[in-house]
Amino acid sequence: MTVLDNFRLDDRVVILTGAGRGLGRAMALSFADAGAHLVCAARSSNEIDETAALVVEKGRRAIAVPTDVADSDAVNRLIHATLEEFGKVDALINNAGGGTPGMGKTLPEIDDYEWRTGIDVNLSSQFFCARAVIPHMIEAGHGQIVNVASGFGLRGGRDNYMYVAAKAAVVNLTRSLAVTYGEQGIRVNCIAPGIFPHTSEAEERWRGGKYIPVGRVGRAWEMGPLAVFLASDAAAGINGETIAQDGGGLAGGIGPTGWEPMIPLADGIVS
Amino acid sequence: MSPTPDPVPPDAPFGLDGRTAFVIGAGRPLGRAIANALAEAGADVAIAGLTDSSQEVVQVNSVANQIWSLNRRNIPIEIDARDPVSVEAAIQRIDDEWDHLDILVNAQDLVFAKPFHETSLEEWGATLAANLSSVALSCQAAGRLMMRDGFGRIINIVTVPAERGVSNMAAYAAAKGGAESLSRALSQEWAREGIAVNCIQIGFYEDQAGIGDDPAIAEQLAKMLPSKALVKSDDVTGLVVMLASDSGFITGQTIRLDGAATARV
Repeated sequence: MTVLDNFRLDDRVVILTGAGRGLGRAMALSFADAGAHLVCAARSSNEIDETAALVVEKGRRAIAVPTDVADSDAVNRLIHATLEEFGKVDALINNAGGGTPGMGKTLPEIDDYEWRTGIDVNLSSQFFCARAVIPHMIEAGHGQIVNVASGFGLRGGRDNYMYVAAKAAVVNLTRSLAVTYGEQGIRVNCIAPGIFPHTSEAEERWRGGKYIPVGRVGRAWEMGPLAVFLASDAAAGINGETIAQDGGGLAGGIGPTGWEPMIPLADGIVS
Repeated sequence: MSPTPDPVPPDAPFGLDGRTAFVIGAGRPLGRAIANALAEAGADVAIAGLTDSSQEVVQVNSVANQIWSLNRRNIPIEIDARDPVSVEAAIQRIDDEWDHLDILVNAQDLVFAKPFHETSLEEWGATLAANLSSVALSCQAAGRLMMRDGFGRIINIVTVPAERGVSNMAAYAAAKGGAESLSRALSQEWAREGIAVNCIQIGFYEDQAGIGDDPAIAEQLAKMLPSKALVKSDDVTGLVVMLASDSGFITGQTIRLDGAATARV
């Protein structure tokens, strides 16, 4: 046994929402590399079928379960399908979420439906999934949950309401779940991704990462190891925590990177 | 400023083959566990403990043997981490022998607890020197090499008083909080140099001098924690290896490892 063995997830069963593309698909592949079997969930079946096939190519088992995670009945069916197929669930990765109708509108323009949809897709979904899996994890005496929030869960954004509020709530939902269920062998942690553009348009919008301290945007493959780590025994002791992977954005952002002023010590401090 | 090129995805995550590391505080169980884990993950590891503690010198030699048995190179170094000449010489020696230093871990921890109104300027200075200046000195010396090579992973270990107020620990808390702020500032200053700087903030831990290694204090503290247990030195190793092997997009973070102690009200 070395420390690297603690990062393995051999024969663990991982439910991954938002598994169809982007960060979700990249995480699915990282989990498969670590030895896990995958339950891939997202609304449309085409993309999760593809993700599941890629996992199977790596020699693991995988099923694709089309699921609208904002619908608690659908979430309950997802957990049921997982138990039917694998008989257990070791980890839940609450990755589904994103922009919803009304995002970017000014405050008075946002209607009740848009507000509730944004909160449901980005927050209620994670609550529904946790509520459905935790009883099984308590019974098993162990379990890992990794919630995906956002840098916008830790800072505000102009004309950004549903998304920032829901993602901030995810950070604190993570803490309460951790504090409540830690003694029962369940760890709940959170990843706050910075800018990970899925399209060239999005990359252009973020100027290729010019304004991110490290000078580049994130690539989907970079998130897989962090998710695997948090779901693995290598992270024993970490509970209720949110880790940002954002190229230093949240740590700085007050002055433009590399352009902060230089000010000499006042006379007499150093002779 | 020109954009930073994307890093190349590794063949396998978490491995540290070909990397070199320097662990300060390896004369204590925490640093020792970290040094051993970095070697297990594939790194060559230089290790330092306090020169003026014969117990630490024995520990450093013992961890050197452990690293040797893993077929990794090691350099046991006796330093006074508070002394710039000593730190500079240690890091220069690593560069002379290995040509590069990729990973720096500051795991030194000198606990000091006393009512603040009774704390002397000397005690204040000594606490800051051991817990803050030592981190600054090693970051500066290692940072110069890392800037030269365009790659570095710096991991500074701080403890819960950096963030949460604890009675009778003002000087210690100021030092640990200072080390955390220093790390965050360096993450920005060196963001485009390929150097990621992060903190691990651990809860009170089992092997912590004066706390975890005192059974009465340890028991009392553990009872108050959601996890009902102090942090184990071995629990810290996974996070160190993850950060040391990360692509570098995680930087400027303080990652809490405390069994949910700070997640609670």
